[in-house]
Amino acid sequence: MNKRKVIEKVMLGVISSLAIVSAIPIFAIVINIYSEGARHLTLDFLIDLPPPPVGGRDGGIGPALIGSLILTSLAVAIGGSIGFFTGLYLSEFSHTRLAQYTQMSLQIMVEFPTIIIGLFAYMILVAPLKRFNALAGAFALSIVIIPYIALNVREAYRSIPYTLKEAAFSLGVSAPTAYLRILLGTAKRGVLTALLIGMAKAAGETAPLLLTILGTTFTYFGGLDQPINAIPLLIYNFALSPYERWHQVAWGAAAALLTIILTIFIISRLMVREVKI
Amino acid sequence: MNWAIEVNDLNVWYGDKHVIKNVSFKVPKNIIFAVMGPSGCGKSTLLRAMNRLLELNPYARVEGQVKINGIDVYSDNVDITWVRRQFGMVFQTPNPFPHLSIYENVALGPKLNGLVKDRSELDELVKHSLQQAYLWDEVKNDLKKPASMLSGGQQQRLCIARALALKPKIILMDEPTANLDPVASSKIEELMLELKEEYTIIIVTHNPQQAARISDYVAFLYMGELIEIGETSMVFTRPRHVLTEKYVVGRMG
Amino acid sequence: MSSEKIFSIFLIAFASISLLIVTGIVISLIVNSYPIFLMDSLSFIFKSVWNPVKEDYGILPALLGTLITSAIAISISTPLAISLAVFSTEILPMRFREFINNISDLMASLPSVIYGLWGLYVLAPILYQYVMIPLHQYLGFIPLFSTKPIPTNLFTAGVLLAIMIVPFASSVIREAYSAVPYYLKEAAYSLGMTKWEVIKTMLGYIKSAIFAGIFLALGRAMGETMAVAMVVGNTFTLPKSLFDMGYTISSLIANQFPNAEAYNHMIPALYGGAFILFIVGLTMNLAGLYWIKKVMSKG
Repeated sequence: MNKRKVIEKVMLGVISSLAIVSAIPIFAIVINIYSEGARHLTLDFLIDLPPPPVGGRDGGIGPALIGSLILTSLAVAIGGSIGFFTGLYLSEFSHTRLAQYTQMSLQIMVEFPTIIIGLFAYMILVAPLKRFNALAGAFALSIVIIPYIALNVREAYRSIPYTLKEAAFSLGVSAPTAYLRILLGTAKRGVLTALLIGMAKAAGETAPLLLTILGTTFTYFGGLDQPINAIPLLIYNFALSPYERWHQVAWGAAAALLTIILTIFIISRLMVREVKI
Repeated sequence: MNWAIEVNDLNVWYGDKHVIKNVSFKVPKNIIFAVMGPSGCGKSTLLRAMNRLLELNPYARVEGQVKINGIDVYSDNVDITWVRRQFGMVFQTPNPFPHLSIYENVALGPKLNGLVKDRSELDELVKHSLQQAYLWDEVKNDLKKPASMLSGGQQQRLCIARALALKPKIILMDEPTANLDPVASSKIEELMLELKEEYTIIIVTHNPQQAARISDYVAFLYMGELIEIGETSMVFTRPRHVLTEKYVVGRMG
Repeated sequence: MSSEKIFSIFLIAFASISLLIVTGIVISLIVNSYPIFLMDSLSFIFKSVWNPVKEDYGILPALLGTLITSAIAISISTPLAISLAVFSTEILPMRFREFINNISDLMASLPSVIYGLWGLYVLAPILYQYVMIPLHQYLGFIPLFSTKPIPTNLFTAGVLLAIMIVPFASSVIREAYSAVPYYLKEAAYSLGMTKWEVIKTMLGYIKSAIFAGIFLALGRAMGETMAVAMVVGNTFTLPKSLFDMGYTISSLIANQFPNAEAYNHMIPALYGGAFILFIVGLTMNLAGLYWIKKVMSKG
């Protein structure tokens, strides 16, 4: 057989194998997490307080789940609004100097190691209050998600055909009305996707929470100025603890988190798909 | 004053490029006024300079006057959204809002601008506008369906209805039939002849035959300059300028 | 004031927030790390000591740890990322393409802590048993493999990082690959090239994009905290081989910060590490953007 043909077959084989190898981990991760953690996913588990390290009841992730819900909602509310209006500005005022600087800042922000964002939140909200608190965590998470939301919203508005923009303005409505009551409707899929991405990030990020919320709480919610827990932080703390029972809780929490992430992912893909058709 | 609109010494720049050069003309009421010329001569820009839609482009700069009922739309104390409401605009590619139904597309303008008091008035207005646009009978049972389900010609008539719902004085049309098939196009031309009873229509076209067919007055724009303007019959049979002659005969791009 | 004016001001205010935050973060890094640089100047970067009692700090091991784990990550992930990109655009039948791209995007969206948990309890033992022990047994004379391995070490962290950054690097490369004008591919085939030879040519054409992907991925790898913190061993020693336990700058901060308040200079030391991390990461990202510019200018 032709030497070049042989090389071709071999190389294509190598490429395919390497590609498959790189895809294996995701399947392994999903399978492992569900096989270790799915059995814990009962209603009790989702509501109960964490168990003691040894003995006693099985326990659950109740406080962490509530904490995640609160932190994520706050982060999406704050980071989402800032991100949305920033994205809108970048799209519609792209010719200004401020827009260019902001674009650059966002691109830097996106690449910030999130632990550094945690340090910043510590300085601004933890040090002055002299204790770890939920607000600092939400603040840190919002900073993390602002660039994702802003850049996606910018894309969503940029993809609106110019002629639709002209049609909206030709109706003699003010700029806020045109952008927010007419054009938002045409861009709503893109904007929703942006918010979903932000939500997934806020739900899964740990480093920003490490330095801000403390996480080892056994109460459900003490107030925004008090420490709070969150699922990713619980996974981290419990997985590294020496107690087998807490490892089990960590797997369960991971299964819960994975389910949330997968759901958000699938929803956002389905939404994008509809647009293509 | 019986002019629908007066344009005085209008100049438009895109950055450094001078695209409309000292254009002046007056348009009588209740006629079809065609602006014709080869591609790139500035006709679309001229249209958008009238309803100040040009200002969506941050690089555009306008000097001169555009007067409606004696009011210069560019003067400082004039509200730009008021200006735009005096006009209804129809675009080259039909552009109904895809996420809205047929009804909502027409109702949007009046609703957001507070032109009607209640739902029944709005229903009446939508129906009337769709009737005026020769579309009512075809869609009256499907008002809730998305606008994207209509054919190209129907969508364009929907856009006309949307423009009419604002009860404008002047209708601006930017090559409205350029992307439609001949049947749909002739329907719209018919519609325009109807509409001029109540409105003044300014249409931009790259097709001199269309201008000859439907317009009462015509202006010939070339490279941003107004070369000739007058009654359609005169301009087409006895053009005064050699460029005009070349254009109407078809020897120009 | 018209609603238009108010609206513009409103938008400008929001847009400025991002600028303010970035500036604020950079300033806070500088201001908070200043004390340690004042105390130790550049020796802070080059010595290896973490003695809170004596308030003596030098982050060399962590810096080396960051560099080593990132180097491992990039050497493993580059061929994988290129292969994945080529596979999904050239080899895989069309109908599976969306699926594999979704898989890749899903991998990129997984939280770091989930990679960490899996890395700690699944990947580490496997690497330990099937890779590290054999390598140490048979090739232990090579300095790289000379330490007796423990499952959680720099090597595991590097491999885990590689797994994490492949989807990102591969999507950068994949986009560039699909953007190559079709006529170039046609020209190559018409010269009688085999598929592999065409691929080689295309890869050469998008070289800048590949470098961009590598640098951007490196930036990510260096900043990655949680997954690494869970598998790197978190031991403050100067690494001698790949199988040593160690620290990265980010995992050092994650690990030590909770204790830091008790001491005078630990916080500035950790901020100092953060500042260095920021600079290194920024350099990688700027390098990545430089290569992206090169891709764009090719047209």
